[in-house]
Amino acid sequence: MADVDSVNSDGTEATSASKDKLFDPSVDMLVNDFDDERTLEEEETLAAGESEDPSAELSSLQKESNMPLEELLALYRYREMQENDSPIDEDTEEPSETMEEQESEVDAQEETSKLRALYDAIPDSDPDASRLLRFSRVSEEEDEDYDYSPDEDEWRKVNKTIMVGSDYQAVIPEGLCNYDDALPYENEDKLLWDPNPLEKHVIENFLKKAATLAKPPIPLGTQIRDDEQVLYLLQQCGHNVEEALRRIRINVIPNSDTMSLWSEEECKNFESGVRCFGKNFHLIQQNKVRTRSVGELVQFYYLWKKSERHDIFANKIRLEKKKYTLHPGLTDFMDRFLEDQDGRDRSSSPNVQYSGSDNKKPTDIVQTNQKPPPEA
Amino acid sequence: MSTKKVSYFYNPDVGNFHYGTGHPMKPHRLSVIHSLVLNYGLHNKMQIYRPYKASAHDMCRFHSDEYIDFLQRVTPQNIQAFTKHLSHYNVGDDCPVFYGLFDFCSMYTGASLEGAMKLNNNHCDIAINWSGGLHHAKKFEASGFCYVNDIVIGILELLKYHTRVLYIDIDVHHGDGVQEAFYLTDRVMTVSFHKYGNYFFPGTGDMYEIGAESGRYYSVNVPLKEGIDDTSYWQIFKPVISHVMEFFQPSAIVLQCGADSLANDRLGCFSLSTKGHGECVKFVRDLNVPTLVVGGGGYTLRNVARCWTYETSLLVDEEISNELPYTEYFEFFAPDFTLHPEVVTRQENANSRQYLEAITKYVYDNLKMCQHSPSVQVHDVPGDAISDSDKMKEEEDPDVRISQELDDKTVTVKNEFYDGDKDQDKEEIEV
Repeated sequence: MADVDSVNSDGTEATSASKDKLFDPSVDMLVNDFDDERTLEEEETLAAGESEDPSAELSSLQKESNMPLEELLALYRYREMQENDSPIDEDTEEPSETMEEQESEVDAQEETSKLRALYDAIPDSDPDASRLLRFSRVSEEEDEDYDYSPDEDEWRKVNKTIMVGSDYQAVIPEGLCNYDDALPYENEDKLLWDPNPLEKHVIENFLKKAATLAKPPIPLGTQIRDDEQVLYLLQQCGHNVEEALRRIRINVIPNSDTMSLWSEEECKNFESGVRCFGKNFHLIQQNKVRTRSVGELVQFYYLWKKSERHDIFANKIRLEKKKYTLHPGLTDFMDRFLEDQDGRDRSSSPNVQYSGSDNKKPTDIVQTNQKPPPEA
Repeated sequence: MSTKKVSYFYNPDVGNFHYGTGHPMKPHRLSVIHSLVLNYGLHNKMQIYRPYKASAHDMCRFHSDEYIDFLQRVTPQNIQAFTKHLSHYNVGDDCPVFYGLFDFCSMYTGASLEGAMKLNNNHCDIAINWSGGLHHAKKFEASGFCYVNDIVIGILELLKYHTRVLYIDIDVHHGDGVQEAFYLTDRVMTVSFHKYGNYFFPGTGDMYEIGAESGRYYSVNVPLKEGIDDTSYWQIFKPVISHVMEFFQPSAIVLQCGADSLANDRLGCFSLSTKGHGECVKFVRDLNVPTLVVGGGGYTLRNVARCWTYETSLLVDEEISNELPYTEYFEFFAPDFTLHPEVVTRQENANSRQYLEAITKYVYDNLKMCQHSPSVQVHDVPGDAISDSDKMKEEEDPDVRISQELDDKTVTVKNEFYDGDKDQDKEEIEV
């Protein structure tokens, strides 16, 4: 760093490297045919300093490999700054540079090599750190997902070049063409809602009226909510508000795509499925919740995940795990058996709440007894 | 500024797929976004479509028949029978075979394809498909969570009507699938801003990848280092895209809005805020060129949802409050429950100003090398409303005039500049 500083502090250009990107030779320089030999020498000494002998380089690499990450980062960020500064200084101290910028072809090459220097100055810190960034950085919310880490060799195999050949490029249609008379897929999509034909306040009024008619199962607050189904109905009625309201009144709301309410039994089965198969929703569907599609299970999972029910579920699992590790080999199989039995019993009996103590099997009670001192 | 007609494509089932335990790609983010979009009332500003589902035939416009056939047949149950194919098509670890795989692909691909068609017919100015944007998929194989490349298929559709299509990619990963597909053509320019180096996926996207043969100089790569923030990103995005517009003059744009370039993404390493990310979208919107907007990466669910909801609001030009409306997914946005939470990142910005300036200059020099605005032969351009005999299609009998009916159906390509009578450039387009 000292060398770089000296370049900046003596001589005519004391401004910081970041400011003097464009070199503007002073009148004085032009008149006196200014040629800065001194900088050349300085560059040479800089270069000499950089090309250490191989053994020294090896030993420094060795040292770095044992260094803690923070130190290593600090070291490289420092180096990077130095490297970023020096080529720029070099640019600015050559008056001819400004001339050359006119000739893009020649310049491109030269510019590239300088860019290359910046480009390569990537702090090649710990490669492991970047790998972590790529795949297993875990945010607190997704802690359950931390197990995703494909093995490194897979990543090394990745094609790192763009391939050229008929196996790789798309076939570009030649020229332009018109669609035929019938638009492709004209009737295969569905316009669910077009806001344009009606004024905003008409729509709002309609939504208000529709909301009072629909009598939702859960109070939704005073705010006007956008009800996709109702709007779709309005669309189907050709934006005829009266007709749409009439249809709502006689209750012919078309079969909704939104989720119907899940029964307690389905919830229970779902939870027991998650316990057995993790997030393999297909297996859960096959073995536990046959009344729902896999898609519905996925949808339910995301809503369930943030519910109180899930917290209770997760707590329970956590306690169980702890118990197994506390008494290895003692109660494992029996407990699991009981658990399964219990799961089955529960799933057949509707309206069971987790809070209901009468449904707790003996092992559960043991658990709760163990709960107060969590470290025990 | 005239308000734009926006169409939004969403299949209510597209969110209900699951890549498998621990996989960072979560299609359910799409349901969360849709729920926010509705509850912000943004659908009052755009047409909502439940899109067409793409057929295997549509997918084969880009992909090989064998590969699509494989995707159609493989399921978690019969996977054993396909062991050989799995590695051949790169399906397995990153791109798992999950239940409903092909359905998922046909939903997101159909939406992009239809968006492209609606743009071609001037049915809208902006088409949004957040479920699309799977930019890594290759002609013969899956890659990086992507199976079918809906972007390539969408662009191929746009090329039916547009002489030049621009592809912009702000995902943290390089848009390698799209770049490769159009590597040899000058009709599609691909521009990708991404993290490059240290074996970051997919490993391509070096600034020296500039295209080949006729496509030389028509692939633009802007490799960035980790930790780039809003200011630095804007410093490079704006000049690069401005130069690209100046030299390439596309008549349609496809914008891939990968949200893994946001701060604190599970896989990404940039430090953009939702506002900084949205700034790019706003910039592209204001170019006043028909645009297909697609999603892409984005692996921290709550942030993806915030980002794309905000960007939907930008595209329909409607301000929405920072306070999130109540939705069934409200709990996902704890503890702040806002649209623009403060960005807290430990990631240092490794992109120096000099580096960004140098890259911009390099890109500019390359762009100067491409001939100004290549074009397809003039006689193929579809006619506009005023019929001229010289605009008849070549293959048609020259003695028969274009019927009025046919003529009404033809669409004029915007941004195709003419002089005199045909001048349609009355509205000045800012470059």
